[in-house]
Amino acid sequence: MTTPLTLTTGRRADGTPRLSVSGEIDMSNASALAEALDTGSGHVVVDLTAVEYLDSAGLSVLFARAERLELIVTPLLEPVLAVSGLAELATVHRHGDDGVR
Amino acid sequence: MAGRAPRPTSAGGDVFAADREVGGDLALVDWAATPLGPPGQWPQSLQTAVSILLSSRFPMWMAWGEQLTFFCNAAYRRDTLGRKYPWALGRPANEVWAEIWDDIGPRIDTVLRTGEATWDEGLLLFLERSGYSEETYHTFSYSPLRDDAGAVVGMLCVVSEDTDRVIGERRMATLRDLGSDPTVIRTEQEVLAFTGRQLDRNRKDLPFTLTYLFDEGTARLSAATGIPAGHPAAPAVLPADDPDALWPAAAPARGETVLVPLTGGAFTDLPAGDWPKPPRQALVVPLVQQGSAPYGFCVAALNRYRELDEGYRGFIELAAGYIASGIGSARSYEAQQRRAEELAELDRAKTAFFSNISHEFRTPLTLIMGPVEDLRGRFADAEEAVRQDLDVVHRNGLRLGKLVNTLLDFSRIEAGRMQACYAPVDLAAVTAELASVFRSAVERAGLAFDVDCPPLDEPVYVDRGMWEKVVLNLLSNALKFTFDGSVRVRVRRSDTHAVVIVSDTGVGVPEAEMPRLFERFHRIENARSRSNEGSGIGLALVRELVGLHGGSITAESRPGEGTAFTLRIPFGTAHLPPGSVAPEASGATVSATADPYVQEALRWLPVSDGAAADGAAADGARLPHDVNPPVLPGPSARGRVLVADDNADMREYLSRTLAAGGYEVHAVADGVEALQAVRRDVPDLVVSDVMMPRLDGLGLLARLRADARTAAVPVLLLSARAGQEASIEGLQAGADDYLVKPFAAAELLARVRANMELARLRGHHLRWRAALIDSLQEAFFVCDDAGSVVEINTAFTRILGYGPEELPYKPAHPWWPDAAVDPDAHRRVGTAFATLLERDQGSSTVPVTHRDGRRLWVAVTWNKAQDPDTGRRVTVGTLRDVTAEHHAVQRTTALAALNTVLSQAASLPEALASALTELKTLWRARSVLAVVFHPGNVPALTATDPDANWNELPPERRDFLEGLRDRPPLTPVIEGSGAGVLLEHPDGPLAVWIDLGEHRPFTAEDQVLLSLLAGRLAQGLVRAHQIDQQRETAIALQRAILGPARLPNGFAVRYEPATPPLEVGGDWYDTVALPDGRIGIVVGDCVGRGLEAASVMGQLRSACRALMLQEPSPARTLMALDQFAASVPGALCTTVFCAVFDPGAGELTYSTAGHPPGILAHADGTVQLLEEGRSVPLAVRPGKRRPEARCTLPARSTLLLYTDGLVERRRRSLGTGIEEAGKALQEGRDLPVDELATEVMTRLAPAGGYDDDVALLLYRHPAPLDLTFPAEASQLAPVRNALRAWLAQCDLNRIDVQNVLVAAGEACANAIEHGHRHAPGEAVRLSAEAFADTVRLTVADSGRWKDPQPEPYANRGRGVALMRATMEDVTITPGPVGTTVDMQMRIAR
Repeated sequence: MTTPLTLTTGRRADGTPRLSVSGEIDMSNASALAEALDTGSGHVVVDLTAVEYLDSAGLSVLFARAERLELIVTPLLEPVLAVSGLAELATVHRHGDDGVR
Repeated sequence: MAGRAPRPTSAGGDVFAADREVGGDLALVDWAATPLGPPGQWPQSLQTAVSILLSSRFPMWMAWGEQLTFFCNAAYRRDTLGRKYPWALGRPANEVWAEIWDDIGPRIDTVLRTGEATWDEGLLLFLERSGYSEETYHTFSYSPLRDDAGAVVGMLCVVSEDTDRVIGERRMATLRDLGSDPTVIRTEQEVLAFTGRQLDRNRKDLPFTLTYLFDEGTARLSAATGIPAGHPAAPAVLPADDPDALWPAAAPARGETVLVPLTGGAFTDLPAGDWPKPPRQALVVPLVQQGSAPYGFCVAALNRYRELDEGYRGFIELAAGYIASGIGSARSYEAQQRRAEELAELDRAKTAFFSNISHEFRTPLTLIMGPVEDLRGRFADAEEAVRQDLDVVHRNGLRLGKLVNTLLDFSRIEAGRMQACYAPVDLAAVTAELASVFRSAVERAGLAFDVDCPPLDEPVYVDRGMWEKVVLNLLSNALKFTFDGSVRVRVRRSDTHAVVIVSDTGVGVPEAEMPRLFERFHRIENARSRSNEGSGIGLALVRELVGLHGGSITAESRPGEGTAFTLRIPFGTAHLPPGSVAPEASGATVSATADPYVQEALRWLPVSDGAAADGAAADGARLPHDVNPPVLPGPSARGRVLVADDNADMREYLSRTLAAGGYEVHAVADGVEALQAVRRDVPDLVVSDVMMPRLDGLGLLARLRADARTAAVPVLLLSARAGQEASIEGLQAGADDYLVKPFAAAELLARVRANMELARLRGHHLRWRAALIDSLQEAFFVCDDAGSVVEINTAFTRILGYGPEELPYKPAHPWWPDAAVDPDAHRRVGTAFATLLERDQGSSTVPVTHRDGRRLWVAVTWNKAQDPDTGRRVTVGTLRDVTAEHHAVQRTTALAALNTVLSQAASLPEALASALTELKTLWRARSVLAVVFHPGNVPALTATDPDANWNELPPERRDFLEGLRDRPPLTPVIEGSGAGVLLEHPDGPLAVWIDLGEHRPFTAEDQVLLSLLAGRLAQGLVRAHQIDQQRETAIALQRAILGPARLPNGFAVRYEPATPPLEVGGDWYDTVALPDGRIGIVVGDCVGRGLEAASVMGQLRSACRALMLQEPSPARTLMALDQFAASVPGALCTTVFCAVFDPGAGELTYSTAGHPPGILAHADGTVQLLEEGRSVPLAVRPGKRRPEARCTLPARSTLLLYTDGLVERRRRSLGTGIEEAGKALQEGRDLPVDELATEVMTRLAPAGGYDDDVALLLYRHPAPLDLTFPAEASQLAPVRNALRAWLAQCDLNRIDVQNVLVAAGEACANAIEHGHRHAPGEAVRLSAEAFADTVRLTVADSGRWKDPQPEPYANRGRGVALMRATMEDVTITPGPVGTTVDMQMRIAR
């Protein structure tokens, strides 16, 4: 049984590519996230507000692309991002204060 | 300056500018009134001269012009002009220096006339500058001053004042002369004459002096200078204490100095010394020397031309000091001289006396020795006794002759009449030959005799006779003071001298005595020696004789190590008087001189068998009967006499005389031996010499009198010292009688008889008492108030081995057990002894040590009494040997004690442990241990030391214990500091080791006892083993019928039977897995104990299980059980707590049949009692409806169900017990439930163990999560879901939940990754447990972990960091079969 994960691509109002993620991300499905992110090569907004679980496998995917990511998260994921240091490399918005939706 | 009025001082200002002060004063002079006119008009030469004058620091004055007008500078003003300043400025010089114009005027004239300078050095001038005519000295030069035209118009005087130097030198000369070496000055008169001469040479500072010396209340004029004899100011005698006397003698007598004005009366016509006018004052100074009263005083008339300043006063005091010290040394010299003369006179008188008397001895001696020689020849075959008498006479004649000859040698040497004949000899050979005559004596004394005399290459001139005396005296001396070791004689050459060294390893000479070693008649007091005889002149004679040979003798000695005398005799004849040198030595061998020395030395030595030269009695032994047959032999002897004398001849003489008088005689050589002999066997009388080595007669007497047992022995003292004082001294010391040598045999016998009869009358009572005491079977003793044993009887000696001869025995007595070997026994005796001293009466049994080392037990009984003679309190006691009884009692007691502990033990290990403790107590051992040897296993160790461990025992101890297995059982083996024994243990051979600690004897009695106890222990262990087996069987039975084999997750249970042996009971617990996933829980308690109750319990338990499965409702189950119980005998009143629990919802439904309430401990620290749903115990009201209650177990709460044995205690409410149980639950809130169960059981257990059986059931909600899954990534999500669900039951906040999920997810991901790498699909196990305040997670896999270093793109490294960041405590334990991660998180309350 693979961990439930839904990846929805779209564009933000300003035309920036946007990836909405929901479900859980672990080593069993991190590669799917990587693939979705690698469909483009430029700046991308990743909406993680519906992600209930993110482990180091998922973090690795995000780290590898950190410079071009803009992350939107809930307080649930904040500790993980802070501890891993990803928050220092990628732009992180708290859900509700990005003002771009 | 034109047009301006000149300032009044403008010209003067320029001229006088060089010195503001003197220049200022010069400017004020009305120069216009002088022939020089105003300074402005002065010629340049005058201005220059004045300017130079003022600017110089050297004292100067000048005179200028027709009136020789006076100028001076500041230095001159200060040093010379004094009070004449500033008056003198500008005045004519002859007016300024009117008083000395006679001296200086002509000089100035000469300068002005001739233009040549003058020079005067140290000219005496009497100046009036200080208010009086003052003696001053000046060195000066007058040089001409010329005007602008070059004519001489004045003069300049450059002057330096020398007053201090001149006067100082003058005084110094006087003091130096006074102190000049007065070595020839010996008498007081000479001293005064000498000092007088010196003082008289300085009539400037001392116009006249008078020296008075105190003499019994008056002061006598002893010396005078500068004043004629008979002058009124110099009375010959003054009263020393008359305040109105001409000179105040009383003040210097007190050490004070007084200034006396010389006015009127006797002082009218005083001599003036070197001065024109007589002195006006005199200083009276005491003649004092440190440490003695003033000898007198000195009157020093003072120079009227100098003031009495500190320098002057000091000079006079120093001069007086010289006089005083001269007088002092003269007086002490005279005193010494007098003393030396007295001593010399005394010495002369002594030598003269001895030589005279010696001379007088010679004739009678000759007349004795001649006939004695004849008699010895004639009676060569006579009976033994006659020959012995003649030998004694002969020997002592020789001795006396030797002494007399030595004294005569002295007097000859003193008188310079020593007839010497120095002949060349081979000194080495002569010395060796002399030494050889001493060989037998030295060797008989047990000393090594080392004669090392290699020939010298040159003859030495010696007087043969004198040399013999030198060597024999030194050898005799060495033998006398050497008790072991050796005597050595060595001859060597040392350049110009032959060196002879006689050394010994004897007692040595104390350092303080060394200077007097060679002094005549000087004897070193208290030196240990072979004989106390000797005159102290041997070494003095040796020195004199060596001196006659031009040689020297020195001694080196160290007390206790020995003494070495070194003789140095020069080679050749240059040092000898020419007439006394013989060309060649006569061939004489050792002369007769040697004989007395050797004979005397031999008499100091104990006579051995075979060596007994003359059949004398051996010292310290009874006289052999064949030598001195007593007139009345055996028991009818008139009495027993102890003779003590260090002179063997005298000893024999006394022995013979007394034996002939019918006494039994025992003879000893000194006081110490005498004391021992008396104490061993008290004689009827002691005859003792006063002078003896070691302990003299008076000392012996004092010791005898001090000891109650010997105080009454009559003592007759003998002494060579005549005179009333000596006999009084002897009698005061307590001697019964006193006899002065020489004495007649009849007198001795008469005194002995009289004293003995007197003593016999006196001593009858005493002897009766002694006989009575000696006849006692019990040991008898008397202690003085200090605890010293002063009297004992024969039984005492028999029991303890200590005899009366060493009395008194001071505490700690020698029979006390050694404090080092057996401190306990020593302490015990010490305590008993303290009681003995303290209490009036009492008794105790104590361990003591026999003289032969055996341990004894004695029963002591004592009473206090008053000594009728001294009035002192004494302790009189008896003691009995109770060793056998003691050991018998000890065995019985020990056996009983061991029986008791064995019977009380509840198990085999306990029996063994308590038996070891008992053994340890019994022997007061350091430790006791026991080892059971199972076949094939590590030996099982039990020890009184809880930390003991077989593998940590010393190897030798292990060897010993293993070796014990080969010994027969129950046979103690002593080893080092303890003993071991082998016995049978149910599990195998048992070796016991008792460690007594340092130096404690393990006696034969101890061995018997140990053997006995070991046998008893073996029996006890078998019995304990049997009981153990029964107990184990019963408990196994109980456990078998108690509860489920497998408990549901999260539960823990305990059952504890009541303590005293084998008490199983009717308590039970049970859990039933119900088909719907719920759990049935039962805790019950049947009435009663033992197997019956157990069987009732078994039936109820089974019934209850069945009922619950059928109807999962607690109330209905209990109601059905009511019915069942009613039909089971003994089931009535059983209490039951019955519940159904839904682990998912945490919901508990329960009903209680008279059972104590369940206890629920909440995570927030509160405690809740499950008190609802209550009704009566089983079968009390069958058919009655039972209530049911519900309760939800909050997250992380703990439920405790139990039977009343846990909380019920006598004299305590149930509530208190329940409260304690609740407290125990709360305190163990973070323990796993199984540990908590143990903790609760332990904590609540009464001191002696539970006296009722106890069943207990614990559950903490939620039950731990335990998941096992294959190491595959696809498992992560389901595992996470399961964990999330469990965490929901734990009631954590969302962030905590997320943290736990992330950490667990990372740990699982790691496990999967590694599991994948090493063994794909291996199981990974995740377990989680909630505690009140924490959540604990464990993830275990079968792989190995990556190093948690953060590498680029290294997911797992990041994973570990995430784990550590989200959990509080992360421990990763890699192992050979997998890695385990433990994590823990604290839950915020």
